Amino acid sequence: MKYTITTFIAACLLGTMACMNINSPNGPSVTEMRADERGFVAGLGIESQDLVTIAEKMARGILGAEQIANAQGKPNIVLEPIVNKTRFPISKDIFLTRIRVALTSQAKNKMNFLSRDRIDALEKERDLKLAGEVTGGEKIKANQFKGADFILTGTFEGISGRGQSGASDYVLYTFQLLDPNTSDILWEGFHEIKKQGKDDVTYR
Amino acid sequence: MKPGSVICLLALPLLAGCQTPVIRHAPEYSNDLVAEGKRIIAQAPAKDKNLWRLRVALLALKQNRHAEARALFNAAMPSAGAILKGDSSTRKAQSLFSPESSKGFHGEPFERTMGWFYQGVLYWMNGEPDNARACFRTAQLMDAVAEKNEFRADWILLDYLDGMVSAKLGDDGSSAFNRAQAHAGDTALPEYNTTDNVMVFLQFGFGPVKKSGGDVGEKIIYDGGFSAAQSARIRVGTQAVTAPIFDDLTYQAATRGGRAMDAILARKAGVKKVGDTLGDIATVPGIILTDSENTRDVGLALLGVGLAGKAVGGSVEPRADTRTWNNLPQYLSFASLKLPAGRHEAVIEFLDAAGNVLPNQQKHVTLNVQPNRDTVVFVADQ
Repeated sequence: MKYTITTFIAACLLGTMACMNINSPNGPSVTEMRADERGFVAGLGIESQDLVTIAEKMARGILGAEQIANAQGKPNIVLEPIVNKTRFPISKDIFLTRIRVALTSQAKNKMNFLSRDRIDALEKERDLKLAGEVTGGEKIKANQFKGADFILTGTFEGISGRGQSGASDYVLYTFQLLDPNTSDILWEGFHEIKKQGKDDVTYR
Repeated sequence: MKPGSVICLLALPLLAGCQTPVIRHAPEYSNDLVAEGKRIIAQAPAKDKNLWRLRVALLALKQNRHAEARALFNAAMPSAGAILKGDSSTRKAQSLFSPESSKGFHGEPFERTMGWFYQGVLYWMNGEPDNARACFRTAQLMDAVAEKNEFRADWILLDYLDGMVSAKLGDDGSSAFNRAQAHAGDTALPEYNTTDNVMVFLQFGFGPVKKSGGDVGEKIIYDGGFSAAQSARIRVGTQAVTAPIFDDLTYQAATRGGRAMDAILARKAGVKKVGDTLGDIATVPGIILTDSENTRDVGLALLGVGLAGKAVGGSVEPRADTRTWNNLPQYLSFASLKLPAGRHEAVIEFLDAAGNVLPNQQKHVTLNVQPNRDTVVFVADQ
């Protein structure tokens, strides 16, 4: 009888723990999640799960583009900042960084990324070398900064609505791979997300 | 009782009277209002922290302490896409026996709009005009919940800036400009000059303040703001630009219309009024009827109902939330200029309705114009 009660209490405790939803605000105070999971603080804006989904999708699309798949050698790619036309202020670099990381891991050395966003620091270092103020200047024969074979960029646009009945946001994410010599759009990929929600009645 | 005990008892109060009072030192305050504001934020109850953060953030912005202002605005405001969810404090705000101000402060739409407007100014100062535009668009959307269609998303400056940033970034800003002009009515808005590289944000006066209205305080009404300044003139060297009023915060606050929360407060007010009325009607006759033995039972019952009504009426809290972001201005204004890179001294004069310069309100601003980016300054007359 004694063991039966103990077993019953233990089973109840286990059952209670198993029923606790990690997505519940009443659950544990800090929960580690995958970046592509939708958490309980999700809103209408651009969120980590969107970033991961879009970056992976775009990376697959870029790798499948004819110009990349059939490129001779390793094409040089420059990432240009995304143009944000939505109502959500975003850290624009994070999308391209995530796509670059996805491409690097999936393409296995099939492409080369150029660090144009650090060009000031790179030029400064090169000039120091050429001036003989630091070592290594003798190795620089000419301007060795590479030109881009492709430019990867994107635009985010949105349609937003809000009223007494709630709020909705549609965001269209488009990415283009451009040929800088011809301005041709070599590849274009998109992803679209619509979200809607409603504030608590006390805030409406 | 023994005499010794009596003496001891008498001596005790005397000793207590001689006790040295506890000396509480006055708290040390500094002249740094932002630092003092942060102290108030730390001490404020959780439900009021956002209100204090907004007040102190604006103070920091006025003092050109941009990093602090940005951090405080970020802490005070949910993200642009956030849905404001219910929690224990919002449930309390809806309950009969707690006032609306029990909920965490997120402000009325005009206050939310102003929060996003200032965030946009800070983004633009930081060299991110497209993120600034995003904030101006979110700010405008906060006003889209106005009850009447003609008052929805009708902030003039927000559409004007949306179009201006779009035009500067090489997009078409005409539709946003047209919306702004439509809301501005007869006031002709300055045409965009996409080569302008100095943006001057101005605000004048003291903004609206909420107060209780209705029979039992269940409605929000606004005490209108005030501003002696009706426009501003910016002089840099030989250039002079007049900045008109774009938006009136009292108008924006007052045209919001009914809220969903008003229905809850009306229900609470109804319960309070019924309780109070029952108390008024039943208590006195109940007392009178208890006087006679023949009617005592009825009298006691009436008295019970009356007292219960009074108790309920006195306990119900139908008061609307009148916490106000009280250092907002009455008017928003804006002007843009084109200046060569370098250091420039600007003088900003605030003008009254007749166009006369208001005495003792001149501001001197140093503009450090950098090549290939906009210089954004924020100036308040108060």
